[in-house]
Amino acid sequence: MSLEFKRGVIAFLSALFLVSLIFVQWREVTRREAESGRSKAHISVPASSKACVDCHTQSTPGLVAHWEGSKHAERGVGCLECHQAQKGEIDGFDHYGLHIATVVTPNDCARCHAEIAGEFGGSHHAKAANILNSLDNLLAEVVEGHRGPIDPHSPTPGRAFTHANGMASVNTGCQQCHGSKVGLVSSDGGMLTVDDFKPGPDGVPTNLDAVAKVVKDQNGKPKFHSSTWPNTGIGRINLDGSLGSCSACHSRHDFSPRRARQPENCGKCHLGPDHPQKEIYEESKHGVAFRDLHAEMNLDGDSWVLGKDYTAAPTCASCHMSGNIRNGGRITHDPGERISWTNRPPVSLAMDTDLEHRVVTETDPEKRRALVADTWEAKRTRMQEVCSVCHSAEYVNNFYKQYDDFVVLFNEKFAKPGQKIMKALLDNGLRTKAEFDEEVEWTWYLLWHHEGRRARHGASMMAPDYAHWHGMFEVAERFYMELLPQVREMCAHAKEDGMAAEADNVLAVVDEILARPEHQWYERDVNELKAKRAAEQNAEKK
Amino acid sequence: MFSLQAWIRERVPVGPEQLRELTNEPVPNHLKKWWWCLGGTPAYLFVVQIVTGILLAFYYKPAPQTAYESVRYITEEASFGWFIRGLHKWAATLMVAAVVLHQMRVYFTGAYRKPRELNWLVGMCLLLLTLVVGFTGYSLVYEQLSYWGATVGANITDSVPVVGVYMKQLLLGGEVYNDNTLSRFFILHAAVLPVTMAALIALHVTLIRLQGVTEFHFKDEDPKKAKFFNFFPEHLLTELSIGLVLMILLSVLATVLPAEMGPKADPLTTPEVIKPEWFFYVAFRWLKLFTGTLAVLSMGLVVFLMYAWPFIDAQIRKWRPNSEASVWIGIAGALAIIALTVWEASVAH
Repeated sequence: MSLEFKRGVIAFLSALFLVSLIFVQWREVTRREAESGRSKAHISVPASSKACVDCHTQSTPGLVAHWEGSKHAERGVGCLECHQAQKGEIDGFDHYGLHIATVVTPNDCARCHAEIAGEFGGSHHAKAANILNSLDNLLAEVVEGHRGPIDPHSPTPGRAFTHANGMASVNTGCQQCHGSKVGLVSSDGGMLTVDDFKPGPDGVPTNLDAVAKVVKDQNGKPKFHSSTWPNTGIGRINLDGSLGSCSACHSRHDFSPRRARQPENCGKCHLGPDHPQKEIYEESKHGVAFRDLHAEMNLDGDSWVLGKDYTAAPTCASCHMSGNIRNGGRITHDPGERISWTNRPPVSLAMDTDLEHRVVTETDPEKRRALVADTWEAKRTRMQEVCSVCHSAEYVNNFYKQYDDFVVLFNEKFAKPGQKIMKALLDNGLRTKAEFDEEVEWTWYLLWHHEGRRARHGASMMAPDYAHWHGMFEVAERFYMELLPQVREMCAHAKEDGMAAEADNVLAVVDEILARPEHQWYERDVNELKAKRAAEQNAEKK
Repeated sequence: MFSLQAWIRERVPVGPEQLRELTNEPVPNHLKKWWWCLGGTPAYLFVVQIVTGILLAFYYKPAPQTAYESVRYITEEASFGWFIRGLHKWAATLMVAAVVLHQMRVYFTGAYRKPRELNWLVGMCLLLLTLVVGFTGYSLVYEQLSYWGATVGANITDSVPVVGVYMKQLLLGGEVYNDNTLSRFFILHAAVLPVTMAALIALHVTLIRLQGVTEFHFKDEDPKKAKFFNFFPEHLLTELSIGLVLMILLSVLATVLPAEMGPKADPLTTPEVIKPEWFFYVAFRWLKLFTGTLAVLSMGLVVFLMYAWPFIDAQIRKWRPNSEASVWIGIAGALAIIALTVWEASVAH
């Protein structure tokens, strides 16, 4: 065998080795990129959605780009899988040979995510639109707006409005968080909702008279009532009878788990003067750590179990929803499962809930025990599992003792007395049943709904400034410097108007409250001063 | 008048004559072609590893609690740390490749034959040490894959009959990966192995010097021309040029494909995919093809045959003087190694 042949063998094998080395290194680099989430995932467009993607790449490129960044796209879940409608669905329409619906409801998501949809359906989130009948809604519908159209009282230069939507504040404010009752335009000019269609368990309307009234465009697509759609409120009441909107947290069309894990996602609604959870979180040590250690949160991880996949900081999702090493990584889509006080009402209530996940208000111990399906203690234990990933048992228990003490202090010193005084005013005819038509009602509302909630939420999530200065300080100032003087003034006016007995009844309630040890400080010195002056005047007269 | 030259000569009695003697090693003509000169490449890369390794060791902290963070600091915060780490990583890769290419050349040209059998043994030791130093270096990062790669490596060692359990203990400093393992790996990687390699490289070069470089005479050579040329400056210039090209290549690789970091090691979570460094792909694939002990023993046998090859080959040639079996065995072996490596790289599991 010649040396030249051997040289050829060496050259060939060396070249082959170097080519294989380049291949191996290329595989290494792509593997690293995939591990670190930098590589673009393979998109799988199912045949049934190919036409949708092709066309919408032109018409709504952003929407398609979002979808391309989703796990759905990676796993071959296309447009039709979510948007398909069954025959008879009220908002279904034919679109290039496919029968689809615009609004994707929890019933649609449940086709693949049944367990999650079930959990969510039982949550307070899903029922968030119940606020539509609450005091808050009265405020937006009546006080801020008007339950009906408002005729313009003077022209708007450049625009020709025939009327103003009196419910505009409700539509764009309340309902964008709490959820709208999705409506279709009726041929009589009104709006048709789930109440009119009366869908069966399959989501198909049973009231065909209402179905006949639905106005459709030239392509046969039902027209949504602009006051109710677009809407991603978490408690949206859908046309198929389902409650909620998964995209409230899992924004369409990328349905990013990363985003849902971050506090900004919850901050769309959980912020502001009456429930500043987002701001409270930011002030807390948890929020400070998150802001600093954001990069170490493994937010892109397929698995996101506290204590295993990350420990840098907890977010809203970590504590209220996500899995942790103590609970075997179990995620819940019912954030109420770990909350032991509800600080939403004027007086905080222990979160004993019934089978329908409603807070039990029954006071008789026996009846209460029979009604409660999930106790506040069980909920607290679930939250303490989260806490215990980073904190000792003593730390956690003492925190909860501080929190309980705070809530009870608020309840007993201000909330229950405030409620009692407001009830006394109503019972004695010193105020009307209509809310917000008297100054004292605004005062009381600001006390419990804004300042009182701020205080309690601040205590619940370790934000001292919200607990104190934005919270209890303002509660106290509102109680002593506004509520009580206003009540006394109302009583004085009532006496002038010949309602002395009623006024005395109310003042007796106030006096009884102020005689309590925690309130005695308030007028002790003033009363002593008054008594002293009175004694001096009497002495002078003598 | 004071003469610096005389002062030095008195203390270091080496003059121009001796230096000329040292550097005028006659070099065979085929080494004028750069592709025959790659024997010096691993040595050059070894120097790069020593220099970059010392710089990295300034910051590296070999303990499970600190290792990953110190590598992150080097990569993300220390001035040019990412570059030094990239150079170190890619020089390791190129060093393994250069050693393999060099050994391939030695093998197919029969340069291991009498009287150079011992130098082949030294070269084999250097090959294995290069792989082991790569293994220990990969483990020092303390990321998920390097941790689990080390764990799998230790378990493979455990499969060796009789002595495996002791070898594993020696490697890990205990039954399992523990707090002492990283410091053990670090000492091996940064002190014991490099010093041993440096000694063996010195021995390797000394033996080459004593026995001379194997001469190749190709048919297209002009027989009238001199068969040798001087080491200094001709051959040295070729080696320096190769070194320069290597440095450029390393800089480009370290910049375009910098050394990265995977997730931190988590002893409680076994990753879905475990991969060792690429130069162990062949062994990793082999292990997946056979049961543990059989795979380890067969690999041991292959290594033994590689060590003993000069003597086996001599016996074959005594029996059949013109036998070229070594070439065909070499081709089969090289193709098998490349195929197993590419196979392992192509699949996730």
